[in-house]
Amino acid sequence: MQIDPAMPAVALTGDGLERLRLAGPLTAVTAPELRARIRQAVAAGRTRLMIDLQAVTVLDASGIAALLEARRVLEAQPSGTLVLCANPVVCRALKDTGTITAFALSAGPGM
Amino acid sequence: MTSVEGQGPDAPSRTIPPARGSVISRGVRVYLRTFTPADLDHLAQWVDDPFLERMVGSEFLHSYKHVWDKSPAFFEAVLTDPTQVVLVIEAYQGWTKPVGVVRLFNIHLLEGYAFLETIITDVRAMKRGFGVEAGKLISYYGVDVLGLRRIEAKVYEYNALSMNSLRRNGFRQEGILRQAGFDGEKYWDLVIFGILKEEIEAQRKKDKVYLPLDPPEGNGREPS
Repeated sequence: MQIDPAMPAVALTGDGLERLRLAGPLTAVTAPELRARIRQAVAAGRTRLMIDLQAVTVLDASGIAALLEARRVLEAQPSGTLVLCANPVVCRALKDTGTITAFALSAGPGM
Repeated sequence: MTSVEGQGPDAPSRTIPPARGSVISRGVRVYLRTFTPADLDHLAQWVDDPFLERMVGSEFLHSYKHVWDKSPAFFEAVLTDPTQVVLVIEAYQGWTKPVGVVRLFNIHLLEGYAFLETIITDVRAMKRGFGVEAGKLISYYGVDVLGLRRIEAKVYEYNALSMNSLRRNGFRQEGILRQAGFDGEKYWDLVIFGILKEEIEAQRKKDKVYLPLDPPEGNGREPS
């Protein structure tokens, strides 16, 4: 998995959302990192997020649970919101677990 | 998973596939780590053990042997299955290989329930509390990380060891599925156990407090 340091992780989208780009597996091993980043974002007052999952290669139950928690935490904030930018791998995992309806999705290229 | 925002000093090492998996939870007797490709060798032995077949009747082991024909592709299938969490049980001292596998399966994240299966694969590792602790650790993981509010387990009526393990972890017998299991010769009842989040929390207060490791130790398998 390559990291692109030139790509800003948090950038404003056209919808006024801050984009958090993730890459590689979002699994039991890495989900705590996402939880930490969401906590940091909320602590910093950034509560309108788009999590860009287009470069995510694996999404397991722990990763989906972290996304559900992110949604819960963000939407508990005044005007907080979460949008996921998904790829086919992510969409399939969300469909397989019946959680796809729990998220606001923004389709990425190829969707 | 890596955010492209700031790599951090440990970021490069996260791309190295670990031989021994990442430790997800630690107890007193055992710890739970992620499933790795090397575990398929252990699985290949376990699936041919008639004692395990009769006592557990695991769909997980059955699938590896009969559906996947012991194919290495089974690892990828497990890794990418978002409806189950499979963790390998390792004992701390005196064991050169895993003592079993524990998993939560049929995970329903929105409804908050899942099924538990604990398999102690080495006869010498039985009656040492390994299965009890592994079940406890993954139940805590289910509540703390997956947000589960209920966990269920099914046990063959003759598997007193598993029933005792579940009871020791606070599971309650909720019912019996009459003659729902077949061992090739005879039909057997399946005993249904369940535990609720509040009961898991009450159990945790009685024990040494276990929390999920945050972040996990070591590196996970990270396919590109």
